[in-house]
Amino acid sequence: MKRIRNEGRSAARLIGSFAVVLGLGLTSVACAPGGQSDATDEGKSGEPQSGGDLTVLLDAGFAGGWATGLDPATSNTTGANLPQNSAIFGGLFTLESEEGAEAEIVPNQAESYEWTDEGRTLTITLRDGITFTDGTPMDADAVLWNWIRALNSGSTGAPRIDLKTDGPAPTLDPEFMDSLWAALPEDVNKADVESDLTAIQVVDDLTLKIQLNTVNGSLLNSFPGTNLNLIGSPTAYAEMGAEAFSLMPVAAGPFIVTSDKLNERLELEKNPDYFKEGLPYLDELTFQSVAGDQVAYQTLLAGQGDVIEGLSSVTLIEEAEKNPDVKVVLGAPTSPYVIQLNSRIAPFDDKRAREAIYYATDFDAINEGLFKGQGEMSQSFTASGGLFWEPDVEGYRTYDPEKAKEIVEELGGLKVTLGTTDIVTARSVTTALQTQWAEAGIDVEIEAQALGDVISDFVGGQWEAMLQTAGAWDPSVGIGVSVRFGSTSPYSGAPLPEGAANAGDALARGLETELDQLLADSIATIDPEERKARYAAVAKYISDEAYGPFGMAFSPAQVMRKNVYGPGLTTPIPALAVNQGVLYDRVWVESD
Amino acid sequence: MTNTVEETTSIRTEERSSLLGRVAGSPLVRLIVRRVLIAIPLLFAISVLVFALLEAMPGDPARQQAGMDATEEEVESVRKRLGLDRSPVERYVSWLLGFLTGNLGRSTVSGQSVAVLVGERMAVTMELVLLAFALSLVIALPIALLAARKPGGVFDRIVMVISMTLLAVPNYVLALLLVLVFAVSLRTLPAIGFVPIEDGLWENLRSVTLPVLALGVPISCFYARFLRGDLVEQMNSADYIETARAKGVGPWRVLWVHAFRNSSFGLLTLVGLNVGGLVGGTIIIEQIFAMPGLGMMMLQGAMSRDVAVVQICVFIFAAVAVFANLVVDVMYAVLDPRIRYGSR
Repeated sequence: MKRIRNEGRSAARLIGSFAVVLGLGLTSVACAPGGQSDATDEGKSGEPQSGGDLTVLLDAGFAGGWATGLDPATSNTTGANLPQNSAIFGGLFTLESEEGAEAEIVPNQAESYEWTDEGRTLTITLRDGITFTDGTPMDADAVLWNWIRALNSGSTGAPRIDLKTDGPAPTLDPEFMDSLWAALPEDVNKADVESDLTAIQVVDDLTLKIQLNTVNGSLLNSFPGTNLNLIGSPTAYAEMGAEAFSLMPVAAGPFIVTSDKLNERLELEKNPDYFKEGLPYLDELTFQSVAGDQVAYQTLLAGQGDVIEGLSSVTLIEEAEKNPDVKVVLGAPTSPYVIQLNSRIAPFDDKRAREAIYYATDFDAINEGLFKGQGEMSQSFTASGGLFWEPDVEGYRTYDPEKAKEIVEELGGLKVTLGTTDIVTARSVTTALQTQWAEAGIDVEIEAQALGDVISDFVGGQWEAMLQTAGAWDPSVGIGVSVRFGSTSPYSGAPLPEGAANAGDALARGLETELDQLLADSIATIDPEERKARYAAVAKYISDEAYGPFGMAFSPAQVMRKNVYGPGLTTPIPALAVNQGVLYDRVWVESD
Repeated sequence: MTNTVEETTSIRTEERSSLLGRVAGSPLVRLIVRRVLIAIPLLFAISVLVFALLEAMPGDPARQQAGMDATEEEVESVRKRLGLDRSPVERYVSWLLGFLTGNLGRSTVSGQSVAVLVGERMAVTMELVLLAFALSLVIALPIALLAARKPGGVFDRIVMVISMTLLAVPNYVLALLLVLVFAVSLRTLPAIGFVPIEDGLWENLRSVTLPVLALGVPISCFYARFLRGDLVEQMNSADYIETARAKGVGPWRVLWVHAFRNSSFGLLTLVGLNVGGLVGGTIIIEQIFAMPGLGMMMLQGAMSRDVAVVQICVFIFAAVAVFANLVVDVMYAVLDPRIRYGSR
């Protein structure tokens, strides 16, 4: 069974960006004018205006890094670079959210989609008349060329789909195949490519179909966060070559790349032939990479930027809210903190020890103390900005230090090593947990490490407890619930299937736990109501088995000048990975 | 009497040989050659050390590149692509051979030529370092001389307090303060970004002013305190100062001509030792000011475990430090006749 993959930076980023500011220990109090923000006019504006330019400041540690380029097939930062991708490629589908309404996937360059064969065939129809900025048509062949590259070029932005490959192989135009092979890595597995071509086929000039072995209810939801959504011009690729195309990809999105300094600055100008009449509004759009929240905020105040995408520092968000010159729009929370407990080794192979952690943990107090109550509390892997949110889980063990103490005494003591990413806010949370747990008699050692070490610990399997975040808009995509709790995920502490020596053994022998089955069930339907019920079962199971207490979900904020408007900026769109999406074709600037 | 062409050529060759022999035999050249010969194994040792440290860094670069939820097969594929399936010794030897033949390899993350990346960024870092270095001396020298003129006086005390305070402030904090004052409040200088000289000298200077201040001011404080202390000590205890005073030489002349000449040797040594720190300081400063220099490239390389990039950046930084010390040694030997070339 293949899974949806995405960037592995959710936890590090979410807790991460706080660190820069807290670590620097400086706020811009000295220069920021006082006063309350005028919350009432946020998001409200007159008619959109065309023209103007906009500079977006992005954290170098996340969206502001695109070291592997912007060719969707080879970029390893697809999920982080949603802002750039939205501006250059536009996307077959977009995640949109009207103010006050639930977010939903909407066809963009695609005109429509249809599930048939009881959810095993997805047919996508493209809009007629879209052309890439080199003048060539964005048709079904171009999309197929992009999809096969996306799935076979080794990018971490590629989704993993359980394709049905036992059908008849299509006969394809030799010219198309030559172009495709030339654009694939030299060591590509030809059999994989041919299998994919069997399962993904062109129906006509504007229609493609994807055939699946098993129903995948999160496939469409995952589209805007993966490279399948980003369609570039095969003709331009052939003319430019891989390296140049990776720097300045040619697509059919609202903007054209005019300059790209990797990881530093990306300059774009309006695509005059964009398929949506009257859009984009902006003439020019620039993405500037900056070193963290503090620098981003100061750069905005200095007038060298117009928008900060994904400001995470609570201190700076509060500061910005008081500044009458800027607007702050908090994102829709989707990814709560979770203390993962490794049930495969002592002490948490004993359920009582796991229960003690639940009873000893008071996330409400931490939310108040560290996040000024701005985080949204959750007892499972989603929050109000995400799909299938259930804030309360039946039977969830809430804070009860006396019960925790009793269990610890019964166990004869409890010593725990609590790991986390070495980031100031994460360390603050773990320090608070250490204090809370100590009150219950639990002896805690904190191990704050670099992300690479945390990953190593996970993969090595010798960790005891880890503070992380889980989930995104759809709990199955990104660093979702399966990554944290599936038995064969390297980042899970849930038990291995009975009889399995390790994850590889379980995969090879097709062994599953009950939780694995529940997780598989949660995407084995395309009916959202059914999915919601199945996720509720997953949340209940995790709670009953005490695999990890959940805490507050906190979403980064969009901070911008007063005259900037647009979906994802002045109206929140839930995060597909970590930062919320922005639809740059509809972003506009009010002139004086 | 005329010489044949052959004879003339022979005489000139002999003259040249003789000249070369004299130059080669000069103590100064011997010193330089000796220092260079010492520098080669030193740089080699540094390259081995850097490679070993990168190797010892926890975490798996292949997994990092493959993504958190990549399968083991995918991680293995990335490992193979990056050449990480070869032994560390093989990889180091391969890097060294490439380096010696002028092939710096390609970034394992972006696939770009490391030589091209270094070339693009070297100018930015060098401009920052040279200007910061010049600024530090321009600030430090007059302040130290004025402070040493009346030790314990008002100026001396003010300068010492300010310099101590600035020394206690890390340069990234100073950088943010400078941005707050000059970019946010006064709006006179840009908060981030670098404008190349070819796009206008004035804009270039504006873009580097704050980073150069952030880099140079703490060092100037360091130099000023050191030089002031040394000058005061010379003025209070050195016999030649007493002699000069006894001869009726004026206090400024004693300070500037006699004391400073001796103290400058100590300062020179300090400058040499300090170059490494100054270059290292660009790593944070370039990040804060979004300057596309070697420091930023190295930090990004380290975060993404891009060995080819980190290796060459560290090597360049180390080479600059070694070269700076070589220059200081040579200057020391040239300026101070009491130093015997062979003794240092």
